[in-house]
Amino acid sequence: MQIIISNSSKEPIYEQILKQIQTAILSGELAEGDALPSIRQLAKDLKISVITTKRAYEELEKAGFIYSIVGKGSFIAEQNLDVIREKKLRVIEEQLSAVISNSKEIGLPYEELQELLKLLYEE
Amino acid sequence: MENVIELRGVSKALKAFTIDNMDLQIKQGFVTGFIGANGAGKSTTMKLIMNLLQPDNGEVSVFGLDYASHEKEIKDRIGFVYDSNIFYESLNLKDISRIVAPAYKRWNHQQFKAYVNQFELPLNKPIKKFSKGMQMKASIAIALSHDAELIIMDEPTAGLDPTSRRELLDIFQEVMVDGKRTILFSTHITSDLDRIADYIVLIDEGKILFDKPIYELQEQYALVKGSTELLDPDTEAYFIKIDRSPNGFQALTKDATKVKEVFGNHVVIEEASLEEIMFYMKGADSHYD
Amino acid sequence: MINLIRRDLIIQKFQLYLFIPCILFFIIFGSHLSAFFIIVFAGFFIPINAYSYDEKAETNILLNSLPYTRTQIIASRYIGAIFYMAVSIGITIVLFSLFNRAFTWTDIAIGAGITLAMFAFAFPLFYLLKPGYIGTAIVIGFILLVILSQPAITFLGEYLTPIVQFFASASTTILYLSSAGILIVLYAASWLISQMIYQRKAF
Repeated sequence: MQIIISNSSKEPIYEQILKQIQTAILSGELAEGDALPSIRQLAKDLKISVITTKRAYEELEKAGFIYSIVGKGSFIAEQNLDVIREKKLRVIEEQLSAVISNSKEIGLPYEELQELLKLLYEE
Repeated sequence: MENVIELRGVSKALKAFTIDNMDLQIKQGFVTGFIGANGAGKSTTMKLIMNLLQPDNGEVSVFGLDYASHEKEIKDRIGFVYDSNIFYESLNLKDISRIVAPAYKRWNHQQFKAYVNQFELPLNKPIKKFSKGMQMKASIAIALSHDAELIIMDEPTAGLDPTSRRELLDIFQEVMVDGKRTILFSTHITSDLDRIADYIVLIDEGKILFDKPIYELQEQYALVKGSTELLDPDTEAYFIKIDRSPNGFQALTKDATKVKEVFGNHVVIEEASLEEIMFYMKGADSHYD
Repeated sequence: MINLIRRDLIIQKFQLYLFIPCILFFIIFGSHLSAFFIIVFAGFFIPINAYSYDEKAETNILLNSLPYTRTQIIASRYIGAIFYMAVSIGITIVLFSLFNRAFTWTDIAIGAGITLAMFAFAFPLFYLLKPGYIGTAIVIGFILLVILSQPAITFLGEYLTPIVQFFASASTTILYLSSAGILIVLYAASWLISQMIYQRKAF
């Protein structure tokens, strides 16, 4: 995978790395067990400080996206249910937003939308 | 061992200048940038670390060892670059390497030759005929050719053109890849640090004002601009130093989140560059740390 | 240690080329000079010249940043001085023989003794002095030596006849042994003093 960082972006560099790796995992570009470049190698390649990539990896590890083995490096973790759930939730959120904006366009009140959802859900 | 260098309660009185009760830790495996104005004490601190100066009080330990009984062992593992030429001026690089190489247990001549080629340094020209940039490169080539675990550099990028500076930063990053090494370097060119420094130590008048990971500086420190009407003793407490003008104020804060909370949209908050932090911190008391 | 001593050869490459012609000049054109004077000059030349390279603060920063202790740096200076003196005198003797210049073993012994005594006085003084004054100190020292050596000998001869008589009457062996003893003590004391001064030096 490739990581492209912007020095002029408002978003901190570690967050840019974090998000890009996250996206690659969620999209399936990176699969369980795949090795990530070492913290130091990535820092060198991106021409940024080691502590920045270290922080990105630490956050990814905390969130369960990757795991590290001392002396071996960092790997994509088995995506646990929580992560997948979060992934799905995000999709649902997106789809619901579309539903809401469509409803608003035709002036469908919230109560009616709720009713409709309930009906469909219990079907 | 997490800290490669440790200064504990180090004091040193020199003629025009005093370091009083300094504590400093340099972390293993990272690049620490050492910044401060001229005469702030950077070189003195580095000389204390190199045992060129001995502290009046306090302890200096490198690799967890003290100089009193492990001087040779410590220095064998350090690569050093000073801001002025310390090599015999009339000698050429070949002769200098002949003097320096046998001093080190792990001198790597292949490595040295590779750097000399990369830096395009002449081997048979006396050092005094080198430009400042070439002298610096020669010094760096030697510092990096004996497998040093700690590389201490005083203003290594001064006198180098932008291309050479980039080239050097690339080399420093390459050197850091195996994770065994530590770099401590002082510089005026803070943009070099933006790219490769992991920790920043700011010194002023012989005192360490802060020692922080660079992202903490980038995230917590900010320049705040607004109308002077917003300032009163309570709100002033959020700032390290305030510059007032008829058109408003500009100040440095080390708690950008809090300032955002308190002032909301009444002020403009901008990321502070290292240079700006250095400027605003100058003369500020260390209790702001 | 050997590396530190060897360093003196590398830094003096060019002066070394000058060394032999210089001695030859003295041998050929200095027929009025005593052999012992030439030996003193020869023995003094390389160690003092090497020292002059070390007077710079920068050089001391270099040496002290390399894996050497201050004790070693001083030791290399004192051991190196004896070593280079011996080699220089050796070369001079060879040149003397080649050019049929007369000399005695006494010349060599006295020459070496005086050279070592000069080192013993010069080194601590140099470590004490600020950089930049050493060249001047050498020049003044040499002028004083030239001016004062003659009157001093006369003075000794005139007023200290008893002492001279003692020396004259003492057996050569005792004379040599006692001078050697004094010299060793002097050199060792000088070494210790230099080491103490250097230990505290800031660069």
